Amino acid sequence: MIRNYLLIAWKVLLRRKFFTFVSLFGITFTIVVLLVVTALLDHIFAPHYPESNLGRTLGVYAVVQQGDQSKRTGFAGYTLLERALRQLENVEQTAIIQAQNKVASYQDDGRKLELFLKRTDDAFWRIMTFDFLEGGPFSASDYEQARPVAVINQSTAAEMFGERSALGQSIDVDNQQFRVVGVVRDVPFLRVLPYSDVWVPLTTSRGEQWREGLSGSLFGIVLAHDHSDFPRLKREFAGRVAQLPIPDKEFKTVRAELRTLFEFVALDLFEIGDTSRLRMVIAVLALMFMALPAINLINLNLSRIMERLSEIGVRKAFGATSPTLIGQFLVENVVLTLVGGAAGLLFAGLVLSALNNSGFIPSAAFSLNFRIFGWGLLLTLVFAVVSGIYPAWRMSRLHPIEALKGDSR
Amino acid sequence: MIELQEVEKVYRTDRVETLALAQINMSIARGEFVSVMGPSGCGKSTLLNLVGLLDAPSAGRVLLDGAEVGHGSDRSLARLRNSKLGFIFQSFHLVADLSVIDNVQIPLLYRALTTRERKSMATAALERVGLGSRVHHYPSQLSGGQQQRVAIARAIVGRPDILLADEPTGNLDSNMGDEIMSILRELNEEGTTVVMVTHDQRMAAQTHRIVRLFDGRQVN
Repeated sequence: MIRNYLLIAWKVLLRRKFFTFVSLFGITFTIVVLLVVTALLDHIFAPHYPESNLGRTLGVYAVVQQGDQSKRTGFAGYTLLERALRQLENVEQTAIIQAQNKVASYQDDGRKLELFLKRTDDAFWRIMTFDFLEGGPFSASDYEQARPVAVINQSTAAEMFGERSALGQSIDVDNQQFRVVGVVRDVPFLRVLPYSDVWVPLTTSRGEQWREGLSGSLFGIVLAHDHSDFPRLKREFAGRVAQLPIPDKEFKTVRAELRTLFEFVALDLFEIGDTSRLRMVIAVLALMFMALPAINLINLNLSRIMERLSEIGVRKAFGATSPTLIGQFLVENVVLTLVGGAAGLLFAGLVLSALNNSGFIPSAAFSLNFRIFGWGLLLTLVFAVVSGIYPAWRMSRLHPIEALKGDSR
Repeated sequence: MIELQEVEKVYRTDRVETLALAQINMSIARGEFVSVMGPSGCGKSTLLNLVGLLDAPSAGRVLLDGAEVGHGSDRSLARLRNSKLGFIFQSFHLVADLSVIDNVQIPLLYRALTTRERKSMATAALERVGLGSRVHHYPSQLSGGQQQRVAIARAIVGRPDILLADEPTGNLDSNMGDEIMSILRELNEEGTTVVMVTHDQRMAAQTHRIVRLFDGRQVN
């Protein structure tokens, strides 16, 4: 029976090539956009290199100080992170990371390179899972002694030293001299926390001013033993922040919270009340986006039924029940949509690889992984059923005599 | 085998009520070959649709093998049509996208059979109507008479007790019409009950009995 359904589905597709093309184009385009957007979201929010531990990581992304007249929103200051984040109990690691700066780096041959510089601590290398191509991270003692050592990424190493080993080489970055102790595989640009070209100990920062203040230019991250520790850590951190003395007389309260990256985007960037609502907004947008081609497909499917009245009448006369006909029509729609879905997957792969190679987003590593493939397949099937069920129902309700007469009312 | 008792069929639209059949009482015995005649619009096809369980009577009873079947559920009527009835239409109603053998297999798709069983039954039915060499052709590659023979093969493939033919020779020239008629007669001689609607007195004369309708009423 299924072979017969598949055969007729294929024949029906070939019968009206233009309609089939329009349907397939709609499905393919929708699937491509959904997959590319999903890959983008996955790329930003899912645990990937070097943030494999993202599922156990919370961050301090913003600090708000408020007074009667004024309000300051910014990144965290060292004092706040040292006194609130570093004091958290029963965690695996805590790290402090400076927001990256674009700085100049002068080469021996007079070339000037523009590089991203990030200052951080030794724990950063234990929370992130970088792939070291040469050497290793800087140590706790490098950090404490403020030794001028640096880890650089693969592209920077190639740019500065070509084929030669970068280890032990001296580099000039932000008018400071550092000795290279490690080279890592490039980090995708959209990985905001770990992304950089050069990483050096935070303690090598000039002057002492960076050690002051509740607000500053730092992020803090904490690696929990388990995801289930998050509520406890959030409470503990908020409690500690609330007790901090506020040096700036202008302000009366200070507020900072531990958040997952997704929570930070939902709550602080988009100011959407909670993360489930952001998920819902994304889901609704996706559904609305899928609705347009689905409605188009419903329309095309309905007009196709008109061409097949005689077949419907015959099948009913020879014993097909309404549910059987619905099944047949859904199989046909699933075939059409799977063909569109397969084309969508193919084109999405091409688009992502073009995005990766375009240099539009530095070190982008969008990929159609199996999770996204699964999502794609699921979306395609939902699409097939949604756009097929109403026409199938209409078809199954046709009276056999009317269908045989070619009357669709 | 088939019994119609006080059957009435009324078609209603928003404004008009049309009486298609009234006070039909008839019974058709197993093995009979009955033709239904009458002028256009007299209710012949309506009668055939009621007997074929494609439509329900507005009043009265339709009995098949003694059981009332006029108002069954979609599922039970579909099962009866599949197991007991075979249809032949004036305009053949073959599915253009399917090969001859796939067309003939349609009634078997709704039975629990293996692909091999379906194929062998369909081949046998096609051989029965003299089209054993055309199984992989498509309807458009066949003449009208051959297409109607495919339709007969489709109607008999499930070995139904009753064949219902709605002007089976109406779209064919007289030679082809005769061919079809002789196949129907043979099937009847083998034990199948046949009910045929026709305009053609010559064809009707070859059946056991003629039921005449006029304005929705029997006029025998």
